[in-house]
Amino acid sequence: MKRFFARNAPAYVFLLPWLIGFFLLALGPILASLYLSFTRYDMVSAPRWIGWGNYEYMFTRDRRFWKALEVTFTYVALAVPARLIMALGVAMLLDKGLRTIGLYRAIFYLPSLLGASIAIAILWRQLFAADGVVNQVLAMVGIQGASWITDPDTSLYTLVVLAMWQFGSPMLIFLAGLRGIPRDLYEAAEIDGTPRWRQFTRITLPLLAPVIFFNLVLQTIDSFKTFSSAFIISNGTGAPADSLLFYTVYLFNEAFKFFRMGYASALAWFLLVIIATFTAIAFFTSKYWVHYENERD
Amino acid sequence: MTKLTRRAVLSTIGAAAAASALPATPLFAADRTIRHYWWGNPERDKRTFAVIDTFQKKNAGIKVSGETIGWGDYWTKMATQTAGRNMADLVQMDYRFLFEYVHRGALKPLDEFVGKSLMIADFDKGPLDGGKVDGKLYALNIGSNSQVMVHNTRAFKEAGIDADLINWTWDDFGKVCEKITAKSGGKMKGSDDLSLMIETFESWVRQNGREFYGPEGKVTATAEDVAGWWQMWADLRKAGVVRDKNKTVILDPPIAESGIAVGDTAMSHYWSNQMVGIQAVAKDKIGAAMVPHKAGGKPGQFIKPSMFLSLSRDAKDTEAAIAYMNAWVNDPEITGILGLERGIPCSPKVRAALTPKLTEVEKLSVDYFTAIQSKVGPLPLPAPKGAGEVRDAFMRIGTDVVLGKAEVAEAAGMFIEDAQAIVERAQ
Repeated sequence: MKRFFARNAPAYVFLLPWLIGFFLLALGPILASLYLSFTRYDMVSAPRWIGWGNYEYMFTRDRRFWKALEVTFTYVALAVPARLIMALGVAMLLDKGLRTIGLYRAIFYLPSLLGASIAIAILWRQLFAADGVVNQVLAMVGIQGASWITDPDTSLYTLVVLAMWQFGSPMLIFLAGLRGIPRDLYEAAEIDGTPRWRQFTRITLPLLAPVIFFNLVLQTIDSFKTFSSAFIISNGTGAPADSLLFYTVYLFNEAFKFFRMGYASALAWFLLVIIATFTAIAFFTSKYWVHYENERD
Repeated sequence: MTKLTRRAVLSTIGAAAAASALPATPLFAADRTIRHYWWGNPERDKRTFAVIDTFQKKNAGIKVSGETIGWGDYWTKMATQTAGRNMADLVQMDYRFLFEYVHRGALKPLDEFVGKSLMIADFDKGPLDGGKVDGKLYALNIGSNSQVMVHNTRAFKEAGIDADLINWTWDDFGKVCEKITAKSGGKMKGSDDLSLMIETFESWVRQNGREFYGPEGKVTATAEDVAGWWQMWADLRKAGVVRDKNKTVILDPPIAESGIAVGDTAMSHYWSNQMVGIQAVAKDKIGAAMVPHKAGGKPGQFIKPSMFLSLSRDAKDTEAAIAYMNAWVNDPEITGILGLERGIPCSPKVRAALTPKLTEVEKLSVDYFTAIQSKVGPLPLPAPKGAGEVRDAFMRIGTDVVLGKAEVAEAAGMFIEDAQAIVERAQ
C-alpha cells in the first residue's frame, strides 16, 4: 500500500483536477439521471417515482422514439463508413510523401475542428437552401436542384455530407497507421509484380486493421451522439417532418421543451445501452478481423 | 529562460489575490438588479431598451437587465431557465403558455400588490381578466391584439382588388390570391401558405362552431376541421397562387424573412400588434384585413391579451420588479415609448394619451381594432398543458401534407389522435 502511493502519488496529483471535476460535475448528475429515469419529473415540482413507466412508454407507445432511432441508425450506417473511406482515401494520398505534407495535413484537419461548431451548421443550412450556393452551382450546369434542407427525403443526406467533410481526425490517425507499415513489404510486392489493388487489400488493409478498428469505434460513438449540427439545421425540432429527429435532438426536446426530464433521462440511458452494445459488438468481432503485428499465434 | 523561484511564485500569487479582491467592492455596493426577459423583434427590442433606460433614470438604485430572443427560441430558453431555477424576475408571457407555467408553479400571483404598488383599478376588465388562472391574477396584460391578414396595399391596388376586407369569405380570399398572382405574372403570390399556422387554424375551427380546446382542456377540434383546412390550402397550392412549399415548411421564420417583407407574397397571417414590426421591414405600405369568414359560419377571430408581464417564482426583489411592472402600464413617458407595438393597452388613460401622436401604422392597427369589435367571438379558454407540443405536432404532420407526402384525410386523423394523446400525457 505504502509503495503504491509512493509510486503513484505524483500521477494522482496530476490527475486531481480531472478527478475533482469528474466526481463533482459528472458522477453526481449521472447517478441522478439514472434515478430520474424512473420518475416523472417536470423540473419544477418534485420527481415522482413511476418505476419502469418511462421505459414502458418508450417501447410501447412512443412513435417518435422509433422515428428517432430510425433517423439515427440510418445516419450512423451512412456517415461512419462515408467518413472513414474519405479519411483513408485522403490519408493514402498524403502518404505519398509530399514535401508540404504538414501544410496539407493542417488544411484537411481544419473542417473537423470547425465541423462541430454552430457557425458551420448555419453555413451548411445556407449552402443547401433552395436558393443556396449548391443549387446555384447546379443551375449553372443546367440541373434544377432540390430543396435539400426542407425536403424530408434529402435533408438527412446533407448531414451525411457534412459528416464526410469532417474526416480530419480519423485521417490523422490513418496517416500515422500508414506510416507504421514497413516499406519493405511493398517493395517485395512490387518485385513480385503484385498489382496496386492487391497490395492495398493484402498489405495495407490487414496491417491497418487495428487503426481501422480504433477509428470505427470512435466514429460510431461520435455519430450516435451527433447533436449540434442536427439541432441547428432542423431548427431545434427535427423538422422537416421529423426527418432530422436525431436521438439527441429528441432527447433535448423532451427534456428542455416539454419538461419531461424523467423521460429524457430514460432516453439517455437507453442511448448508453445502444452505444455500449455497438462497442461491445465491435470488440467481440474484432478478434476475427483485427490482427496485431506483435501478436504470436 | 528565467528560473521560477519560490519567492517569485509566491509574490505573483499574492499580487493576483490582491488584484482579484479590488473590483469586489463596487460589485457588492451595486444595489438592486432585476432581469426582464422577452421575445422580440428589432423594433420591439429598440423600444424596450429605451424603456429600461428611462426607468433606470427615474429609479436610481434599480438596475434592469434586459434579455431578448426571437419567438422561435424563447420557450426553450425559458424552460431551461425555469428548470435551473434561474428565471428572469419578470418574464413576457403568452396566453397559450400561461396556464402551463402557472400549473407548473413557475409564476407568482400578483393579487397582493394590486391597489398598493400595482395600480390597475381603472383598466378594462375584460382584457385584464385574460391574465387570471383559477381566479388569481398571474399575468399583467401589456396589450391586446387579434388575428389579422396583413396585406401589401400596393399589390392590392395594382391588381384592382375592391373586396370588403372586413366581411370577406374564404372564397373571396381565393379569388384575391388568383388576381394578385395573375397580375404579377406569378412573381408575387397571393398569400403565404398558412397550412402550418395553428393560430389561423384555430379561427377556422371556431368558424365551424367548435373550439380547438374545450372545457377541461380536451381537444374538441375534429379531423374534419383539420382535413378541410389542409385541403383548402392544397387546392390553392395546386392553383399556384400561394407561396412556394419549400418556404412554407420553414417553421417560425423571423419577420424579416416573411413573404410580406421580402415581397414574395401579398398576404399573411399575423397578430395585429406585429404590424408595427412588419411595417418596419416591409418595403410597401401594409394594410389590415380580417381572417376570411366561412360563409354562414360563426365568428372565428377573437381579441386576446397579446402578451403579459409575469412575476417569476425566482424573483427575489419583488418590490423593485413590481415597481417596474407598474411603470410599464402607467408611466406616461414609458407607455409613450412602447406605443402600440405590443398591442392595444388596456388602460383608458394611456390610450387617450397615445391617440394624438400615433404613427401611420399604429393608426392602422387602432382603426382595425375598432372595425372588428362586433365581428369577433368570445375569448377561448386558456390552452391546457401540452399546447406547445400540439403546435409542434401540427407543423410536423402538416409538413408532410404540404410536401405531398401524406394524404390529407389520413394526416388529419393522425394529428387529432396525436393532439389528444399529447394533452392527456401532459396532465
